[in-house]
Amino acid sequence: MATTLEEKAPGVRSAEEERLIALRRRDTRRKWFWRIAGYVVVLGVWEFLSGRMLNENLLPGPTRIVETFPQLIESGRFFSSFGATLTRIGVGFGLAFLFGVILGILTQSRWIDGFFKDATTISLVSPGLIWALVGLVIWGFEPQGWIFAIFMTTFALVTVNIAEGIRALPKDLMDMSRAFGVSTARRQREIVIPFLAPFIFTALRFGFSIGWKVTVLTEVFSSNKGIGFEMRVASQLFRMDEFFTWVLSFFVFALFLEKVVLQRYENKFFRWREEVVS
Amino acid sequence: MSTVVTTAPSSRGGLRHVVGSPLTARVLFPFVVIGVWYLIYYTIDSRIFPTPQEVVVFMWEEVTLTSGVRYGSVVSNLYGMFLISIARLTVGFFIALGVGTVVGLAMGLSKSVDAFFHDWVMAILAMPALVWALFLGLAFGFGHEAPVLTVILAGIPFVIINVREGVRNTPKELFDMARAFDVPQNKITRHVLLPSLMPFFFAAIRYAYAIGWKGLVIAEVFGSDRGMGWTIKFWYDAHRAKGVIGYALFFIIFALALEKLVFDRLADRAFKWRPKMSAVELAEGDFGAVAAEGFLVVEDQAGIDATVSKGGNL
Amino acid sequence: MAEIKVEDLHKEFGVGEDRVVALEKVNMEVRGHVFVSIVGPSGCGKSTLLNILSGIETPSSGTVTITQDNRDAEPGYVFQAARLLPWRTVMDNLLFVQKDRSDATKDRCQKYLEMVQLGDKGDKYPGELSGGMQQRVGIARAFSIEPDVLFMDEPFSHLDAITARSLRRELHEMWRQTRKTVLFVTHDVGEAVELSNRILVFAKGGKLEDDLQIDLPFPRDPADEDVAVAKAQVLRKFEELDLVAS
Repeated sequence: MATTLEEKAPGVRSAEEERLIALRRRDTRRKWFWRIAGYVVVLGVWEFLSGRMLNENLLPGPTRIVETFPQLIESGRFFSSFGATLTRIGVGFGLAFLFGVILGILTQSRWIDGFFKDATTISLVSPGLIWALVGLVIWGFEPQGWIFAIFMTTFALVTVNIAEGIRALPKDLMDMSRAFGVSTARRQREIVIPFLAPFIFTALRFGFSIGWKVTVLTEVFSSNKGIGFEMRVASQLFRMDEFFTWVLSFFVFALFLEKVVLQRYENKFFRWREEVVS
Repeated sequence: MSTVVTTAPSSRGGLRHVVGSPLTARVLFPFVVIGVWYLIYYTIDSRIFPTPQEVVVFMWEEVTLTSGVRYGSVVSNLYGMFLISIARLTVGFFIALGVGTVVGLAMGLSKSVDAFFHDWVMAILAMPALVWALFLGLAFGFGHEAPVLTVILAGIPFVIINVREGVRNTPKELFDMARAFDVPQNKITRHVLLPSLMPFFFAAIRYAYAIGWKGLVIAEVFGSDRGMGWTIKFWYDAHRAKGVIGYALFFIIFALALEKLVFDRLADRAFKWRPKMSAVELAEGDFGAVAAEGFLVVEDQAGIDATVSKGGNL
Repeated sequence: MAEIKVEDLHKEFGVGEDRVVALEKVNMEVRGHVFVSIVGPSGCGKSTLLNILSGIETPSSGTVTITQDNRDAEPGYVFQAARLLPWRTVMDNLLFVQKDRSDATKDRCQKYLEMVQLGDKGDKYPGELSGGMQQRVGIARAFSIEPDVLFMDEPFSHLDAITARSLRRELHEMWRQTRKTVLFVTHDVGEAVELSNRILVFAKGGKLEDDLQIDLPFPRDPADEDVAVAKAQVLRKFEELDLVAS
């Protein structure tokens, strides 16, 4: 909504406008400069030190690591390991998510809330390692072991977020729609689900990120495939270039997941929030 | 004029009221757990799965130093191991807090500094403690360095991010108000800036400790020869489930004690100006606080991120 | 005597298509023991005007002079949201804007707290007070520095009608007793008519359209006939200027 003092020819900008645009451009350029500088400094120092001050076998330089990467892919180990890990986390976190959502919904009842309260608390504060060791010492290589570990570490996160979302449901919108005679099904679809979407998303995101780490832990102890297993083997054989390549691929995957998968859907889930905020 | 209002009869009879109360549910839970435990005990096909009594006896022996188990030559019992772990945690915590606050302040105040460090902070945040533990264990051998460094590396991104958000989220309207009234700068810093940073700094402290200690445990399992983490691994290697479960319970107790005794008290004192919540909300809020606060800072461009929910408990 | 002089004040934001003129070449003068209301629809620049007068924003062009007997005037502010420091007690909030913490100052602050009927609430935190009470603390704070000029930005717009009404009366009493110059921004024509000697009418786009005198005796009862008539006249003025419909 603009009120102009004088009519301007399209495409022609005043001096002040030019100045403001230039300022904004300068800011962005500056940010990119420093960002790249960060990479240059860190990677440069690392590369320089490796082989000189740092034992090259202990901490290989970035170039070494990047070189080993394609080897891993070629030999097929990359995908098979990721596949194994993803399967584990899919099953383990899938169960935890299901249970977490149901529990989150049921927590509306004060009684159920009280019943599971301590379980949730304990799940939130305990290190995943604990559950991994307990699960693994009891069940060894059997699936119950790692399922137990992933489940115990992550279900509470899901529960708490879902419960929070349900608690925050806008009662006034529900009442309004009831007053207008909107059917229950439609109410769920148009109000409840969109409202809960961000909370579900947050639960997924954090549950997954924590669950992922525990999964890798279980693989270190009791698996013969998967990323955790590979990391352990590499470190035991002192093949550090492989070790770090696995770490790098872990990152690449996490980044991929974050930027490509999550952020694309995040906008859909959070769209209504954006509108409210702006 | 006759009274129109009548009081409703009391809604629940005595016993129903007690059974239906959430408190009863909460008390009931541990019994159910024990019940399920026995169920597993009788149905599982495992030689090492213990009964609850065995675990309790084990823990009792550890606590009273009557188990006859020695973990090492110098430091040989539960308390020794515990002290070692706590010492490592504390040292790492303070370093993470100190360095992290400086970096976080710098990143909050300057966009260039922020651009420089941002991706690396996110990278450290995304790194599972396992990686630090494995690598540092190899690099430094099985001493104190690996655990302490792991604590630092695990906690520092949380400190940095929270302090940075604190700087970014200072309440502009209060600053404007102070400037409108011509309040001198030092007064503004003391009465407006620092108190507004407190909730964020508190979150930083809480996370440096909580995440730090989780990292510590992992580091002690993989990269050390002493400490609580090492001890639980000891029992795991020995295939003694009751040892593993027993120490797992020690960990849980420690974590709970930390939350309740330390952080909740600190929070009360630091934030006594917050509008008082009802007792109900307080009870519900116990661990809602961890999750609400937890994952406090929204990173719009993160690799893996932590999230600010509901204004970070402000 | 306090004097506020605004000459050719102009303020705009943004560039090109996003350009918005907040205040358009505003000229006005306010002098002495008067209660002046600035009225207009949202988007007419009233808050911007107040921000510039209080030094929070700078104008794009034009000058602002606020003086008291040839020296810089001491301004006091009441904001739409109370803007109290939530982590300090009520009394500390008042002390925060004082020049010192002497006993005389503390007594003075206590006096103004009592004037807004919050004399016993000095030790409370803002979180323990209702919205109306917080706003009264804001008013006490502004008065407690005994300013020459008082700027108020829609101070009652967030309150319920009943609280707002009693606060209006309190404010008016304080104004009459302390003989200040008050510049009062509001979107509520009735409020302006009830409280002020003079109404400055702003239109969307930041233009000062009209300057109205209200010559009714104080105190004014909103239920009073004369007041109602005056209000109707002012509203008609708004309609003439085509300010009501849009």
